[in-house]
Amino acid sequence: MLKNITIGQYFPGNSFVHRLDPRTKLLLTLGLIVVVFLSQGFLGFAAVFGYVLLAARMSKIHLRFLVRGLKPVAYIVLITFLLNIFFQSEGTPLFSWKFITVTDMGLRRAAFLAVRLVLLITASQLLTLTTSAISLTDGMESLMRPLTRLRFPAHEIAMMMSIALRFIPTLMEEADKIMKAQMARGADFESGNLFRRAKAMVPLLVPLFVSAFRRADELAMAMEARCYHGGEGRTRMRQLKYGKNDGIAGLSLLALVAVIVLFNILGVF
Amino acid sequence: MSIEIRGLTHIYMPGTPFETRALDDVSLTIRDGDFVGVIGHTGSGKSTLIAHLNALIRPEPGHVFVGGVDVGEKGQSLIEIRREVGLVFQYPEYQLFEETVEKDVGFGPRNLGLDEETVKTRVREALSQVGLGEEILEKSPFELSGGQQQRVAIAGVLAMKPGTLVLDEPAAGLGPAGPEGLLTLIQGIHESGVTVVMVTHSMDDAARFCDRLIVLNHGRVAFDAVPGEVFRHEAELRGMGLDVPECVKLVRALKERGMDLGEGLYRMEDVRAAIEREVGKC
Repeated sequence: MLKNITIGQYFPGNSFVHRLDPRTKLLLTLGLIVVVFLSQGFLGFAAVFGYVLLAARMSKIHLRFLVRGLKPVAYIVLITFLLNIFFQSEGTPLFSWKFITVTDMGLRRAAFLAVRLVLLITASQLLTLTTSAISLTDGMESLMRPLTRLRFPAHEIAMMMSIALRFIPTLMEEADKIMKAQMARGADFESGNLFRRAKAMVPLLVPLFVSAFRRADELAMAMEARCYHGGEGRTRMRQLKYGKNDGIAGLSLLALVAVIVLFNILGVF
Repeated sequence: MSIEIRGLTHIYMPGTPFETRALDDVSLTIRDGDFVGVIGHTGSGKSTLIAHLNALIRPEPGHVFVGGVDVGEKGQSLIEIRREVGLVFQYPEYQLFEETVEKDVGFGPRNLGLDEETVKTRVREALSQVGLGEEILEKSPFELSGGQQQRVAIAGVLAMKPGTLVLDEPAAGLGPAGPEGLLTLIQGIHESGVTVVMVTHSMDDAARFCDRLIVLNHGRVAFDAVPGEVFRHEAELRGMGLDVPECVKLVRALKERGMDLGEGLYRMEDVRAAIEREVGKC
């Protein structure tokens, strides 16, 4: 039951997208998010969607993976969609029942927001699917480095993130083992109302936390034993370097921005 | 109640590149009163096998019968199976969670729906079975030593009064003096009428305590026989990354040097007696 969580899952490969500098991919994702918000109509979304699809095709990521990643957030998208339909009273009413009125504007707006959400998620998914956790945090650290002058702990934050990502599977595995141990003693995690289920989590969460704290302690020890002393003066094994491909990718995003801006100016929706 | 396994296969993550066949057509029977040792190299399917014994993993394909009841049948009450077959995992810290030892050991019986009085008696009985006194009742399970935690974890399962006790590497993670006491204790539990299945990687422990050994290799049953028979296949065992008990090696070494003690010796006291007999002849 814990196997369906795909947050931050990395899909190894050696495609054009995989080989891009992680910083490029981070900036591109950020850029895509901006573009999604910039776009005012469905035509713009279609352009962004095409761009993401192309990137997915080039990275040889099966579309199945992108769709699977949408599953956990499907409810959020659905709720946003419904709320927007029902709480929009402007526009021509299409359908009316008691206090619920569905207008054409409401429907449009709901679809607009739902598509926007899906695009945002898909774009950021593509980033984590094609970038390993290590290079992702490397890229983030490098991008945040200018902020260190303002005493922003860029290295520490990147290190915390990579440790957190690294331990997600470990903790999952451990949670599975603990659940089995408690089920062997008759614990029931699957039935009862919400309150009973929440209470049933205690025998799982206490050992999980105890073990996570112990693990953290041991990890800190092991890091210190290898002379870890923070980011200052730390050199890296893999240096990040922008290449020609990064330039091409950057230009492609600029082209997309131009298209969207053009759509907006022309007012085509 | 005896446990019967028929044609059990288990594949992890089927249909993905990570597909692994943990159990491959395993059939065996654990009879009432057995003290069975399950041995095998890491990844041989030991843990997967024992998780099937009390329906933590649904047999698919294959069948597991506990006392004649098919555990894989839909609508089968799992709690009754889990009461009958008690499973203790390798790491006690994976199951201890309550504020006091008393509450923690009482978790199982309470899940069975027993009243507080019965739970209380069962907790005390179970703790005395694992050799812990009442002074431990109010302690936090987290302030105990590793050995005591392991005993409390076993008590937590014994308090459900299982007919079969399954232990996954009970002696692992204990100090050098730990296993001895714990294993003697398990032997005592077995003598009180509980069927015991013990996963172990120590051939010496298996030789000393078990009256039957099941050797797993790549998800298949390689041997299922009395220890004396299993340990005659030293070369095959080595091929599976396993070993034989130290005293079996001693018997072999003595034979090579001209002192034949005979076949089928694997317990230290027997070997010792045989050597004394042999020396007495001179």
